[in-house]
Amino acid sequence: MSILIDQNTRLIVQGITGREGTFHTEQMLAYGTNVVAGVTPGRSGQNVFGVPVYNTVKEAVEETNANATVLFVPAKYTAQGVMEAMQAGLKLILTISEHVPVQDMMKIHHFARKYQCRVIGPNSFGIISPGKAKAGFMAHKIFTPGSVAVMSRSATNCYETVFMMTNKGIGQSTCIGNGGDMIPGSSFVDLLPLLEEDVDTKVIVLIGEIGGSEEELAAEYIKQHVTKPVITLIAGKNAPKDTSMGHAGAIISPDGTGSAEIKEQRMQEAGALIAESTQHIVELLEEIL
Amino acid sequence: MKLLEYKAKELFDKYGIRTPAGIVIDKLDKTNHALESREDSDLEGLSQKLENLDYPVVVKAQVQVGGRGKAGGVRFADTPEEARNICIQLLHSNLKGFIVKELLIVKKVSGIKEWYVSITLDRGNKVPMIIFSSHGGVDIEETAITDPDKIVKIGIDPFIGIEDHIVHYIIDKSDIGMAYFDEMNDLLKKLYRVFIESDCLLAEINPLIVTEDHQIIAADGKVDIDDSALFRQQDILAFRDKLQEDPLILDARKFRLLYIPINPEGDIAVMSNGSGMIMSCIDLITKKSMSVGAALDLGGGCTADRIYEGIRILLSNPRIKTLFISIFGGITRCDEVANGVSQAVKHLDSSKTIVIRIEGTNKEEGLKIIEGIQGNIISVDSIREGVKVLYDLQISNNSSVS
Repeated sequence: MSILIDQNTRLIVQGITGREGTFHTEQMLAYGTNVVAGVTPGRSGQNVFGVPVYNTVKEAVEETNANATVLFVPAKYTAQGVMEAMQAGLKLILTISEHVPVQDMMKIHHFARKYQCRVIGPNSFGIISPGKAKAGFMAHKIFTPGSVAVMSRSATNCYETVFMMTNKGIGQSTCIGNGGDMIPGSSFVDLLPLLEEDVDTKVIVLIGEIGGSEEELAAEYIKQHVTKPVITLIAGKNAPKDTSMGHAGAIISPDGTGSAEIKEQRMQEAGALIAESTQHIVELLEEIL
Repeated sequence: MKLLEYKAKELFDKYGIRTPAGIVIDKLDKTNHALESREDSDLEGLSQKLENLDYPVVVKAQVQVGGRGKAGGVRFADTPEEARNICIQLLHSNLKGFIVKELLIVKKVSGIKEWYVSITLDRGNKVPMIIFSSHGGVDIEETAITDPDKIVKIGIDPFIGIEDHIVHYIIDKSDIGMAYFDEMNDLLKKLYRVFIESDCLLAEINPLIVTEDHQIIAADGKVDIDDSALFRQQDILAFRDKLQEDPLILDARKFRLLYIPINPEGDIAVMSNGSGMIMSCIDLITKKSMSVGAALDLGGGCTADRIYEGIRILLSNPRIKTLFISIFGGITRCDEVANGVSQAVKHLDSSKTIVIRIEGTNKEEGLKIIEGIQGNIISVDSIREGVKVLYDLQISNNSSVS
């Protein structure tokens, strides 16, 4: 098993005829992902690497029985694309773009609850269940099947960790890019229950960073409900206050809210192992496994 | 993007929020040329403007620095003559490293009370949140720590907005009295429109002054706009040029690169293709008692010419002695990075060193290019090894100095 996506996923690519959409459709197909449809308004009837293109998500779902979608569309059209996918009945929606306006994500967050669907991203590399399927743009060569789940707000910190894991023969069950924005579609705490339940996941790696309170909320949940070992890295311990560190969400408020110290402390209290660096995550994994 | 106070005031005025009457004296204004030439005949323009104000006034330097008042950037004047002298002193002066290019001159408002109000993003609950205190003014941050009960917070459902019960709740919890319902109701609804329609992350009024006749006036404003939404906030985007940002930030922005100043004393720069890795590198370097001065985020898929520019920008900062480049290439190709570095090394100051670590897409091609580079460049195989090399360099630099 794994969570959210696997060989049974029937994936739509929104924005499939764009440069990024086309390139990554080819990559996802090469990895074995079942990409069943693409959507670009006005391009119905075309195909991309044999994948049929529709004008709307609703038609794509009706024709192909798709059950998930990944959006390779510009940030300013992301909200529109996600809302369309929700109304078409899809329950798993992944958004890749960086710089989606905060208020757009605020609306998406609340609509997702109304439609009971899961949104991952934005500003995310997507999801991969190694050996089964991937939806997103991650360089899949570095991943290998195994029993460690990785959730990360940062793509580079996730790649770095996974690369070293794979070199040491430690595989992954599912890796999820939560994204680096202020309001992610799904936070750590939304995904922890799935990982706790997943029989193939033995250890959970949670790569957080400064800003917001997602790690604190995750710590609260871990304390109460998670029985599996959790290893966590919080990036940005030495970032200055009130300065965005590249990710829009990675910012410590002037009053100190969102600092790495508090996050680490909460995680430690919840029984998680604290890693000092990506390399340290892998060393801790070697000790546990 | 944080707005200067007068721009925030303009925004409040547009939505009918009561602010003190006033004028802006800016660089492009005719009166400004007058100040530069210091010719009495030209100063008449300014004098005339000042004559028409209602005294006493406050002259406020429009710069984004903390402790503006203490640094002498906020002054009071009882007469046009006094105001004129303050203007001449303040305009073009240097306030904590910022040149004063605009002055906001407003009527001094005296009140019986100072309140605080803001609407901000509650990241935890993903809703806008009103924060109100009847103990506003300069000490609000201290009040938040010493007397948190004096601060009222309430989330707003973004699909409903502010209804009367929200206003009632704030009035009850802060104990300001129902007599202020109409004033508060009007203000909060207008401020909420500012927040939503201008894509704010923060819209703050402090102090919110209550006058003797029980009107409330926004005496100072702080507005922070979501950078990701600037594409649909054209009026505000046009204003960005007026902000006095670090010239290196502006230079980097031209090449779609993000320059992040870290520690003004730091002598190491970090460059990477992602925010997460930048933070990780800074953490490891700082842990070894070294100090990072600046970082640069290349984003994904950066090409050789932009990498060259990134290195040029980081190293044009005279304090930076060593540059650590750490790349994990997915969309970014290591050979592109190496080509950019190769170009940059040709112009490298002999006192500066580049430490580089590349991993991922086209790593082998990249390493070959790096091997052929002549100059102060050290290639390493992991972040940890890179940090060790930085440390050794630091030690040898220090010993050669002493």
